[in-house]
Amino acid sequence: MRINQPTSLLPEVQRGKLVKITVDGKPIEAYEGETVAAVLLSAGISTFRLSPKNKEPRSIYCGMGICFECLVTVDGLHAQRACMTPVANGMQVETCKELEL
Amino acid sequence: MSETYELAVIGAGPAGLEAAITAAEAGVKTVLIDNFPQAGGQYYKPLPAAFSASKKTGVEKAGDILVQLINGLPVTRLYNALTWGIFKEESGDGWLITLYGPDAPKQVHARRLVLASGAYDTPVAFPGWTLPGVITCGAALILLKNQRIAPFKRAVVTGTGPLLLSGAAHLIEAGVQVVSVCETNRLKPKAILYGPTMLGEWHRLAEGANYLSTLIRGKTPYKMGWSVIEAHGQNHVEEAVIAKMSDSGIPISGTQQTIKVDTVVCGYGLTPNSGLARMIGCKFEYHPHQGGWIPRRDGTLQTSLPGVYMAGDCAGIGGAENSRLEGQIAGTAVALETGHIDKQKAAEFYGRIKSDLVQQRRFGKMLGDLFSPQAGLISLAHDDTMVCRCEEITLAEVKAAVAAGARTIGEIKMVTRVGMGNCQGRMCEHSVVNAIIQELIAENATPETVGIYSIRPPLQPLPVGFLAEAALEE
Repeated sequence: MRINQPTSLLPEVQRGKLVKITVDGKPIEAYEGETVAAVLLSAGISTFRLSPKNKEPRSIYCGMGICFECLVTVDGLHAQRACMTPVANGMQVETCKELEL
Repeated sequence: MSETYELAVIGAGPAGLEAAITAAEAGVKTVLIDNFPQAGGQYYKPLPAAFSASKKTGVEKAGDILVQLINGLPVTRLYNALTWGIFKEESGDGWLITLYGPDAPKQVHARRLVLASGAYDTPVAFPGWTLPGVITCGAALILLKNQRIAPFKRAVVTGTGPLLLSGAAHLIEAGVQVVSVCETNRLKPKAILYGPTMLGEWHRLAEGANYLSTLIRGKTPYKMGWSVIEAHGQNHVEEAVIAKMSDSGIPISGTQQTIKVDTVVCGYGLTPNSGLARMIGCKFEYHPHQGGWIPRRDGTLQTSLPGVYMAGDCAGIGGAENSRLEGQIAGTAVALETGHIDKQKAAEFYGRIKSDLVQQRRFGKMLGDLFSPQAGLISLAHDDTMVCRCEEITLAEVKAAVAAGARTIGEIKMVTRVGMGNCQGRMCEHSVVNAIIQELIAENATPETVGIYSIRPPLQPLPVGFLAEAALEE
């Protein structure tokens, strides 16, 4: 969920321009500056991929590009880190594709 | 042939920014490289460029000042550029740094290096830790502060150290219900000895008090000597099991409680991100209270390799203020060595920062003494718990490899494939080392006998086509 209530630790911010992306074919609203991971989580999607061997759900873990757990497909490109990828208008994100680097 | 710099600073957080500023102000021809699109590192982490804020936090303002300083200096800034390899120049003098990024050159040359690549949350494996909804404290803080996203609704925060308080307070202010904060370590009686150290840190005391008051307002209990030991759920965390912990980090049976949560935030201290230094062969020593394997450095922060310096948390966890001082020390040392300042100027600088450095080192020692994750935490992993998230290798497989005769982490890697996945072993090294030691107690195994993964380029996975192209151009 996007935080829209400013507090002392989290003062008010203005997000970037409204953009539209699609996630698994479904249109979803996002704001410039947001990462794919943040947009997926705020849309209630927490399974980003399935682990290759046991097909277990995986999601964001380290949040800073170290763990490679949050891999999704972005505009046809496999294995992109959702936590490191900023959204762009028209971007097509796919979750749970077979991901091999 | 691309340009040769006198200095390459890798990492633009508190340490790297200070190193580059100090060196460039003295006239050192410097390139500053960072993997992220903006300078600041994980500590200053500026808001995304497309966001705007009417009011900034103190940390954001402090970061802005450093970024403005660097922007005003003749420093080549290569952001959004992953350093995937560092190689000794064929001439034997200086280093070839290979980069990957949309706007980055494929390589730069530099005579000297300051490595300032920071740290990441120490990953602790427990049953269910791969479930969506289990995130690190660092991830929670990035989502909250940088993305202004509240990850999920009901959280438990577990681990050790003051970062837990920060994480919990930010979650509460974002409207997330924090059921409890489990601080795995109990405050030892010797903590009282650190009273004078804390008195020099008024701003930190005030920050801590502020977080605590948020916890009290949120009616969130701070449970000392407790930890999350399991997470359960189908496709997402649905509940967590917490338990009282012994002083060595082993759950005490009969104390388990199950709580309904959708998020487990884990912050078991920080691990230095030292892959590049390991890749080029800097010598390391094991110091558990500084985050594990720490480079050997002299007073100017030069490593065992001449001309290679390490500054900040990548060389031992000490916090942002310590990192800034270390960046200045390394930057000054390079300025002296390259003849841009004289010995007297360098001595004046060391005199100026000496008392600050002593205070920051004391503070870092206190944090390490009181809040390092205990080796016993490996007991949280069951036989079927994934220790290697990438290759999906369980604890049982690691134990079987030890039973079959493997003794070092390198041997375990060859037998089981732990550490061969996308994260290059960063997520499993801590668990695998402790698992081997636990299996080999009778043989007196230690972190030194078990060793660490050897790191080879590329530091992170790269598209195959890119590497082929880079090789052709050489």
